[in-house]
Amino acid sequence: MRPQFLRSTAVVAAALLLAGCATLRVSSHTDRALVWSKYKTFDWGPADALPAGDPRLEKDPYFEDKTEGAIEKAMAARGFVLSPVGGRPDLLIHYHATIAERLDVEDTERRDNACGSAECRPRVSRYEADTLVVDIVDAASNVLIWRGWAQGNVEGVLGNRDRLRRRIDESVSRMFESLPQAQ
Amino acid sequence: MFRCTRLTTIAACATAALILSGCATLGVHSYLARDADFAHYRSYAWVEPAQFATGDPRLDNNRFFSQRVEDAMDMQLAGRGFEKTSPAAADVLIHIHVRADRGATPEEPAALFVDVIDRRTTSLAWRGWAEGGLDDVVDNQRWMEARIDEAVTKIIARLPR
Repeated sequence: MRPQFLRSTAVVAAALLLAGCATLRVSSHTDRALVWSKYKTFDWGPADALPAGDPRLEKDPYFEDKTEGAIEKAMAARGFVLSPVGGRPDLLIHYHATIAERLDVEDTERRDNACGSAECRPRVSRYEADTLVVDIVDAASNVLIWRGWAQGNVEGVLGNRDRLRRRIDESVSRMFESLPQAQ
Repeated sequence: MFRCTRLTTIAACATAALILSGCATLGVHSYLARDADFAHYRSYAWVEPAQFATGDPRLDNNRFFSQRVEDAMDMQLAGRGFEKTSPAAADVLIHIHVRADRGATPEEPAALFVDVIDRRTTSLAWRGWAEGGLDDVVDNQRWMEARIDEAVTKIIARLPR
């Protein structure tokens, strides 16, 4: 029973580690007490004053075009309407794309269970991860009411338009799953 | 059915282990300036930075994070008998900042810093900080809030009085 349990735990741990490397980390924060029914229209807001995003993404017209298209589609699917030109939108959206080096160190204790020999050393993997952050701001009060993000390894994605488009689509559609439906 | 139950148990154990390992990594420290006069500090005010920059794109200007820290701080400081007042009248000014995780580097884990600044002398009177256990909970808002509450409670518990 016990060795089997250890083995199963090791398998679960390994699966979690692998899943962490291969997939996107998508999540969001919001104000849970907020009444969303007052919001109907949206538009693109001015960029925030944070340090500029990574030029490999933010200066790429293809990236901008696909990201904005995916966000507009996701908003429309939730029942929000793009504000007509000259209108007063209820919501302002902006996004931010950064790339940073990340270091993953495999947990030593869990790994020892998995391999059971002294030969195993902590495995460190170094990779570049992008973070796409999408902010939704209440236009009247200029307060952030929702933030979604997706993080993933950019290897093989940068410079490959097909993979980049699929990454954007998956990132945006998954992060918007948590957004309430417009009334 | 048997297999299913066992799998559920394993999953629950794995989850519990992950959560516990997260808790265990929260290290709390503080620094007290030699000339700090905590016996006379009664009131405080917040110094709101124009930008809440952290180095973690998920947390930069994220009011769901910064507001939670402020709320937790207000509660803990009230519990310690501090009165919240305007920046012009406060004995001390409180400033928070975050050092983001550079990606699971054990040498420099993500940390939440609380600075207590003497308003009259404008020098740092006290700094408390909690390291680790932050990066992995940001992706779950409720876990993040619980971790912020835990970190702030432990930081303020070290405040001299």
